[in-house]
Amino acid sequence: MNKIILLSISLLTFSCFAEAKQKIHTDSVTGAKTWSTQEHGVYFSLTQILPEQARAFYVNRGFSLKQIEPYVSSCVYMTVLRNDKAAGSIHFISNNWTLLVNGKPKNLIAVSEWLKRLESESAKKSALIAFRWAQFPPEQEYEPGGDWNQGMLSMGLPANEKFDIVARWDIAGKHVETTLKGVRCAK
Amino acid sequence: MLNKLISSVAFIFISSLFFSEHIYADGLPPLTHKLTAIKKTVKAPALRLKNLDGDVVDLKDFRGKVVLVNFWATWCPPCRREMGSLERLHQATKDKNVEVLAVNIGEDMDTVFSFLGTVDPSPYFQMLFDPDASSMKTWNVNGLPTTYIIHKDGTIAYRAVGGREFDHPNIIKSILELTK
Repeated sequence: MNKIILLSISLLTFSCFAEAKQKIHTDSVTGAKTWSTQEHGVYFSLTQILPEQARAFYVNRGFSLKQIEPYVSSCVYMTVLRNDKAAGSIHFISNNWTLLVNGKPKNLIAVSEWLKRLESESAKKSALIAFRWAQFPPEQEYEPGGDWNQGMLSMGLPANEKFDIVARWDIAGKHVETTLKGVRCAK
Repeated sequence: MLNKLISSVAFIFISSLFFSEHIYADGLPPLTHKLTAIKKTVKAPALRLKNLDGDVVDLKDFRGKVVLVNFWATWCPPCRREMGSLERLHQATKDKNVEVLAVNIGEDMDTVFSFLGTVDPSPYFQMLFDPDASSMKTWNVNGLPTTYIIHKDGTIAYRAVGGREFDHPNIIKSILELTK
């Protein structure tokens, strides 16, 4: 009997850890979903930012509704990448990450491209500075032990679109990638 | 013996589930308390900005002191989370040859002043203003918050990318060791 119990617990433990690669969490207040994974000693997550939340944030930073609308309705996520215990420092360029929409690859819109569009709309300088630094870093390096950033990342997709995202970085010169599957843009 | 083993496995299993959910339940990683030592000798870039009183503060005037330089903004969630701990660090080290300088990026004094009123404990360290974010380039800052600890001789001793608990004993110890 004890052997059966032990075997069951072992199998349950194994299956939970096998599936623990990707997790989905729903915020009980806002309903926003977070997709996260922990691989290679690195934590990576995307949390839906609802369009009204992003709109309020940027209007408070000095953008007009017209200026910021294309961005806030482009499927924006609060993105976290953190080097907990990788084998060394990690380096990434977020423009090297790929979206897969219905299996077809798609590039992210670069922060510099968003800035160009907003400048052409004559946005205020202080608003542009806030925009630039509120974005997830286009390029960054994190040391093990907890270097991390949190920032906004636009997928350039319509509301409710479903996609996979392949994030890539180098750990001590070795190329590594991780995928979050079935991520959904906020409605 | 087997019962003990079963109990142990069950305990580890349940604990690990709780722990992993507990850490990331709000989608935010916890603030950490590790600083990255800079092994190469790198001189800190220049920093000359106005403070809340409109007086110009120059980093080079603090030569001989250990200086913490923190780049932040009021709209940056981890910056807000770590601000109270910066003040507790300031209180613990202000009489020990340590200076704390927080550099606000791109915001006006009114915005910063109203935010500071919400921080507990209220910050008494120097608050500097970089209205055009030019120091982000000279200091090689790619994301907020980023913090540098400057040695007494003006070289960079440590760097921290992302939010930290600056009043953690490990961080206070690392900083105080630089004053010796």
